[in-house]
Amino acid sequence: MDVAVIGCGYVGLVTAAGLADLGHSVIGIDKDPRKINKLKAGIIPIYEPGLAELVQRNLVTGRLTFTESIRPAVERSVVLFITVGTPSNYDGTADLTQVEAVAREIAAAMTSYKVIINKSTVPVGTARRVKELIKKHLPAPVAFDVVSNPEFLREGSAVHDFIYPDRIVIGAESVKAVALMKELYSGFLKKKVPFIVTNPETSELIKYAANAFLANKIAFINELANLCEAIGGDIETVALGMGLDHRIGPHFLKAGPGYGGSCFPKDTWALIQIGASYGSPLTITKAVVEANENHKRRMALKIKDALGSPAGKTVAVLGLAFKAQTDDLRESPAIPIIEELIASGVSVRGHDPAALTEAKKAFADTITYYEDIYEAARGADAIVIATEWEIYRQVDLPRLKSVMKDPVIIDLRNIYRPDELSTAGFRYTRIGQKDIR
Amino acid sequence: MHITVIGTGYVGLVTAACLSDFGHTVVGVDKDHNKINALKNGRIPIYEPGLDDIVQRNVQAGRLRFTTDITEEFDRTQVVFIAVGTPPQEDGSADLQHVEAVAREIAPLINDYKVIVNKSTVPVGTGARVRQVIAAHQTQKVPFDVVSNPEFLREGSAVGDFMRPDRVVIGTESDRAREIMKEVYRALYLIETPFVFTNIETAELIKYASNAFLATKITFINEIANICEAVGADVQTIAKAMGMDGRISPKFLHAGPGYGGSCFPKDTKALVRIARDHGETASIVEAVVQANQRQKERMVQKIHNILGGLQGKTIALLGLAFKPNTDDMREAPSLTIIRGLLEQGATVRAFDPAAMDEARKILGDTITYCRDEYETAQGADALIIVTEWNQFRRLDLARMKTLLNQPVLVDLRNIYTPQEAKAAGYRYTGVGQGKSSETHGN
Ligand SMILES: NC(=O)c1ccc[n+]([C@@H]2O[C@H](COP(=O)([O-])OP(=O)(O)OC[C@H]3O[C@@H](n4cnc5c(N)ncnc54)[C@H](O)[C@@H]3O)[C@@H](O)[C@H]2O)c1
Ligand SMILES: NC(=O)c1ccc[n+]([C@@H]2O[C@H](COP(=O)([O-])OP(=O)(O)OC[C@H]3O[C@@H](n4cnc5c(N)ncnc54)[C@H](O)[C@@H]3O)[C@@H](O)[C@H]2O)c1
Repeated sequence: MDVAVIGCGYVGLVTAAGLADLGHSVIGIDKDPRKINKLKAGIIPIYEPGLAELVQRNLVTGRLTFTESIRPAVERSVVLFITVGTPSNYDGTADLTQVEAVAREIAAAMTSYKVIINKSTVPVGTARRVKELIKKHLPAPVAFDVVSNPEFLREGSAVHDFIYPDRIVIGAESVKAVALMKELYSGFLKKKVPFIVTNPETSELIKYAANAFLANKIAFINELANLCEAIGGDIETVALGMGLDHRIGPHFLKAGPGYGGSCFPKDTWALIQIGASYGSPLTITKAVVEANENHKRRMALKIKDALGSPAGKTVAVLGLAFKAQTDDLRESPAIPIIEELIASGVSVRGHDPAALTEAKKAFADTITYYEDIYEAARGADAIVIATEWEIYRQVDLPRLKSVMKDPVIIDLRNIYRPDELSTAGFRYTRIGQKDIR
Repeated sequence: MHITVIGTGYVGLVTAACLSDFGHTVVGVDKDHNKINALKNGRIPIYEPGLDDIVQRNVQAGRLRFTTDITEEFDRTQVVFIAVGTPPQEDGSADLQHVEAVAREIAPLINDYKVIVNKSTVPVGTGARVRQVIAAHQTQKVPFDVVSNPEFLREGSAVGDFMRPDRVVIGTESDRAREIMKEVYRALYLIETPFVFTNIETAELIKYASNAFLATKITFINEIANICEAVGADVQTIAKAMGMDGRISPKFLHAGPGYGGSCFPKDTKALVRIARDHGETASIVEAVVQANQRQKERMVQKIHNILGGLQGKTIALLGLAFKPNTDDMREAPSLTIIRGLLEQGATVRAFDPAAMDEARKILGDTITYCRDEYETAQGADALIIVTEWNQFRRLDLARMKTLLNQPVLVDLRNIYTPQEAKAAGYRYTGVGQGKSSETHGN
């Protein structure tokens, strides 16, 4: 099928390349000319394992092309994906400016039947809104359908998640649109991926509900981690004992510095706002958001506590991205931690195997940047593990100790076992376990 | 092994019966003479599928006995399970008086090394407390160990849960006690049940953490159900799609009238309290406790809305127990609903396949108790499904309609689809059910 994907960020690029790989003829469109130029040359502007190969492979066959201009792409395609950003407004609601702009542009270029698919995460009612908007801006009456098809991929494993989805959710009202969606995704139907076909409202809400629940799981275990520190319990074992209950499941029960990223914070805020606007409060999600904010603040206190008197100390923060396998810094817990440390007179060094470029945008010259872990640690008073990158797990602990001024590790991801740290002669603080000083 | 189980309520009786089925020699002790007399006569004082068979089999085999006398066989016993009640107090904290009474009683009887196992759900620190109480009341200085071994069985499937648990949690610092506990659960070890060995505090917390999380899951989907009603979405489809996410699991995502029972309400409140006592907050669980109360009250409003008022109306309730396959009425949503209906001037008729006696103890003659579903519906203005007993899933809706004063069905467990209720001529409302949806594949 002829497909256009409008917006080539994380989601759009993976969708475009993934659909091309399924055999469709896909045009990726972005208004950012630098992005498009890079993509045309096979250069991937984001860090995402496996994505470069996928894009290059399909560029070569000609099934995947990129352009800045929406009009010709709309003219040739039956299926149009909207995959632009939906950032948070100040009040937590989702900002639909980009989605609406694209809808108007599509309308202006439409001369035959199209299915317009909302893949961006958008509030309940957006499919209907997009439909009305397009109708209003059509130069001449043309039939079309708007479908909600939320995306569940995770940064860091986006390609895998596209190829092996847990389920595909389609929110549509027209039989014709559903049939086209099934044709588009026939590769998944053959693989027996479950399809959920429902109305657009339900489909839109599914995405928020799933993310809010996952955020809930993380925030829940983090509150218990705090309790464990107070009572002498061990959060890793609590998580193990809980996770063995098949009604709970072992996933997303890893205590840490609080969730971040481009989705959980934004989607939980948006869900709360959706609830508020319909007079149906989502009090648990609200408690989750607040608990997560408190937890991030608490992390900075934990570090300051371990430092004793923070002013004048040097701390190496290992890991700046909001999680491993990504260069995404949005809402990363490292941000409030570093800001608080700086405010307390700590000089901060940052290390990250993928996110240094992004970090430089966020922290500018308030911190110093290192490409080598041991250089970052040299002469430091403490190390903070803020992201669970595999390379930190494999660090040479005795060597690390030898370059540091004071052998202190604040392991906010519990990537080291207590015994390996104490054997190596470190004093350490973990999450959800009493400190060893 | 020789084992004593003190307290023969839900947990104690199931523990005693199943451990004897594992081949141990077990004495079940309770201070309640009526209970023990019933058990001695082969009557099970609670409703629990499959329990009577196991009790009977092991009593006959001579492996299981019941007594009110705690000293009976105590000299020979190696492991003492404490499985007495730990009800909530006004402030939400667990009442430990029964646990402590047992500790005081057994202390002077300890003649030889014994393992004392806390199976009751108890706040963090209780293991240490029980150790102190026993040590303070011992008459001979004999070594003993205290173990936390929380129970995860569910009423209604208690026997299966005990025999095939998701995991066994054992909290102790003593190697000797750990080895003995492995021996106690040898039968489960052999079927490769995961065992979690940890310290007492962590074991105690695992029980509260698990229950609080499950309560959170239920309440989360209930809040999503409420917004579904507002926006025209369908909560069952949402739950299904969420559950397909491998990180979420599809269980415990059924929207309904709010959780009840002897565990979730008590354990969530206790966890909130434990956190506060230690200078921490369990703010998510606090939100859950409040939202669940609102959810129960919201059900009254739902009935009010579909009838346009409750004054002078007759309401037929199907199901009183907090869930199917139990006679347990503790904190059941039906109680909040009935109270609300009566307050607003309605008359209530009700039927439950197992919980009528328990309900009578609490509700007295404030409602009419009926013989079956159809008698309950007689002359009522609305039929409300409160508990999803299997027998309510296949009601003869046509016959029901002829008995009702008007065909109104309020399905608080979503066991009917809006389509089938409408097809049968009912005005229908469920929980969080917007428009229809279909599922393909798999
Ligand atoms: N990132 C994730 O992990 C993830 C996962 C699931 C869902 N989502 C959702 O998918 C949506 C996109 O997220 P993302 O992370 O890919 O965002 P992004 O910011 O990485 O990408 C958005 C892209 O859209 C482009 N764009 C904006 N307006 C445009 C226009 N008028 N015409 C053409 N291009 C335009 C931007 O230049 C940018 O490249 C969001 O709603 C997000 O919530 C994201
Ligand atoms: N019911 C459940 O589904 C469940 C599940 C897991 C854990 N638990 C926990 O297990 C514990 C017991 O719960 P239950 O539902 O079995 O309670 P229950 O009220 O059914 O039974 C407690 C029994 O202990 C007896 N008892 C009290 N004091 C005694 C004493 N001094 N000597 C001898 N017997 C005494 C009582 O007479 C009663 O029969 C609680 O802490 C509960 O939270 C219950």
